[in-house]
Amino acid sequence: MNESRSIRLHYLLRAVLLLAFALYIGHLAQQDALHYYVAPKLARWIKLCPIPLTLMALSLTVQALFGKGAALCDCDHRLPRWGIRSTVLYGLFLLPLLFGFLLPDRPLGSLAASVKGIELTYNIKEPDREVQFNTNDPFEVEFAQLAKLLYSQPVIPVYPDIFSETFGAIERYKQKFEGKDIAVSGFVYRENATTTNGPFALSRFLVQCCTADATPFGIMVYPGTPKSLPADTWVEVRGKLHVGKYKGKDIVQISAVSITPIPRPATPYIYTSPDSVAEWAKLQASGKSIR
Amino acid sequence: MTSFSPVKIFPLLLPAAFLLILGIVWLPGRLELLDNAYLHSFKASFIGILLEALPFVLAGALLSSLLRVFVPDEMISRWIPRRPVPAILFACLLGVLFPVCECGMIPLVRRLIHKGMPVYVAIVFILSGPILNPVVYGATITAFRTHPELAYARMGLAFAVAFIIGLIVYFTNTKSPLRLSARQENGVDHHQSARGGKAAAVFVHTSDEFFEMGKYLIIGCLLTSGIQTFMVQDSLAAIGGKPLGSYFFMMGLAFLLSLCSTSDAFVASTFLHAFPAGSLLAFMVLGPMLDFKNALMLLSLFKTRFALFLFFLIFSTVFIGSVWMSGWL
Repeated sequence: MNESRSIRLHYLLRAVLLLAFALYIGHLAQQDALHYYVAPKLARWIKLCPIPLTLMALSLTVQALFGKGAALCDCDHRLPRWGIRSTVLYGLFLLPLLFGFLLPDRPLGSLAASVKGIELTYNIKEPDREVQFNTNDPFEVEFAQLAKLLYSQPVIPVYPDIFSETFGAIERYKQKFEGKDIAVSGFVYRENATTTNGPFALSRFLVQCCTADATPFGIMVYPGTPKSLPADTWVEVRGKLHVGKYKGKDIVQISAVSITPIPRPATPYIYTSPDSVAEWAKLQASGKSIR
Repeated sequence: MTSFSPVKIFPLLLPAAFLLILGIVWLPGRLELLDNAYLHSFKASFIGILLEALPFVLAGALLSSLLRVFVPDEMISRWIPRRPVPAILFACLLGVLFPVCECGMIPLVRRLIHKGMPVYVAIVFILSGPILNPVVYGATITAFRTHPELAYARMGLAFAVAFIIGLIVYFTNTKSPLRLSARQENGVDHHQSARGGKAAAVFVHTSDEFFEMGKYLIIGCLLTSGIQTFMVQDSLAAIGGKPLGSYFFMMGLAFLLSLCSTSDAFVASTFLHAFPAGSLLAFMVLGPMLDFKNALMLLSLFKTRFALFLFFLIFSTVFIGSVWMSGWL
C-alpha cells in the first residue's frame, strides 16, 4: 500500500473516532447524564464540542475520499506507522468510548467517599462564640441571613441546590438550632461498609467542575428505630437537629424520626451557589422538593 | 515511512478474530464482574476529567491550527527584538497572545527556531506559553474560586521562572543545542491545496493536533483517575504533612501525570485540603513546563546534554520559587 492510501486510511479511522466522540457527548446530553461527570456550568461548553468534532471528522473524510494524492502529505511525520504504534494510539482513543458506551452512567458513591475522606463539618474556621445573627464579613452576612430564614421554618428543608450552604449556616449557629425539625435527602455512607444498620452519614458529593474535584459532604444520622439500610441507598431523612460529639469534634447530627428510601435523584451531586439567600427565596417560591 | 501492507495485517487478523469471539462468548457471563464498585468509580472520574478537558483541548487545537494556516511564521520572527531582555518579555507576551497548549508547542517552536528565532527566546516561549495565557488563567481562577491568590501566584511564578531560565540560557549557551539540522521543515504547506480550501485545512490540522495531544491527555486521565479511585487520601495527607516532602511529591506527581495546563488546576484543587498551597503552586507551574510527555518532546528537539541541563534548571527554579512564594499564600 502506498503512502497516500495509508494516509487516507488514517484519516478515515480518525474521522470515525471523532464522530464517535461527538455521538457520545450527544448521547450523554440527551440522556441528561452529563451532570454525572461535570458541573452544569462546564456542561454548557461540553455540549458545544460535537460541533468542532463533526467539522473535523467531515474535513478528514473529504480529504480521505476526494483529496488529491499529491496534497496528502504527512509532512510533519505526525501519523504513526501501521502496526503496534497506531493500534496503541487508536486503542487509547477507543478506551473512553468503550467505558462510556459499555458501562452504565452511575454517580460517585460510598467507595469514592471513603477514598476521598468524608467531610462532616462545613466550616473552614471555627465559628466565634457569640451566637448572634449579625456579623460584618460579607461571607458571614450571607450565612447569618440564611440562618435567619432557616430558623423561621417549622421544618427546615435542605434543598440540594444549597445543601452545603444550609448546613454551613446551621453549623455556625448550631446551639440555636438544637432540637429544630429538618428534612434532607442523600445517600447512605458508612465508614464500616459491612454493617447495614446503626448510624450513618447522609451524604452528597459537592462538585465544582468535574468528578475529579468531587468532595463528599455528610451529616451524621442516628436512626430512632433500627433499620437495615445498605450503603449507597438513597433516603429521605426527617428528624431533629442535635449537637453531638464525633471523633472528639462538636458536629451537627440528626436524630431521625423517619427514614424513607427514595429513588436516586436526577441530580445526585450538589454545587455551590453564588448567592444562597436569593437561591433560597427562589426555591421557596417554586415549592421545590428536597430531593 | 508509513509502511503498510496487507501481508503484514493478515497474521494479525486471526488472533483478532479469536479475541473477538472469545469476547462475545465470555463477556455476557462476566458482566457482573464489570459491575464492580471500583470500575464505576474509575469510570466516573475518568470520563469526568476527560470531558472537562475536552473543550479546552479542542479550543487549543483549533486556535493553534488557525495560526498555522493563517499566520506566516516569518511575521512572528520579524517582530522579535534583538536585545535579550525585551526579547524575553516579547516571548512571554507571545504566550499571552497565542494560547497554544504545551502539547502543540514543540512542533510550532521547532518551526520558529528554524525560521530564525533565537534558542533562548524559544525556550522562554516553551516555558511561559502554556501557563501565561488567558485560557489557563481562566481555568485556574475557576478551579480556585475560593483561593484566587493561587491563580495570581501561578502566573507570577511562571513568568519569573521563564525569565530567569531565558537569561541563564542566553548567557551560558553558545553553540546550537538543536538535535537536528535544518534539513527538514522546509515549510511548504501542502494543506493549502487541501480539498475544501483553508477552512478544511484548519480542521485537518485541528484533528492532527487533537490526536497528537489527545494520546497524552488520555494517558494522563487514566493515571489520574486510577490515583483518584485507589489511592486513599489519608495516606496522601501523611506525605502532605511533611513540609518539604509535599513539594517533591507534588512536583513528581505533576511530572508523572502530564496533565494539560488547562486542566491541571482542577486536579490541583482536589489536593487543596491535604497539601500546602506552595506545593500546589509547584505542581501547577512545573507540570506545564516539564512533564513526562513534554520531556520526551524536548529530548527530541534538543541534544540530550542541553535537555538535561534545562530539566535541572526548570526543576530547581520552580522548587525555590514556590517555596519562597509560599510565604504569601
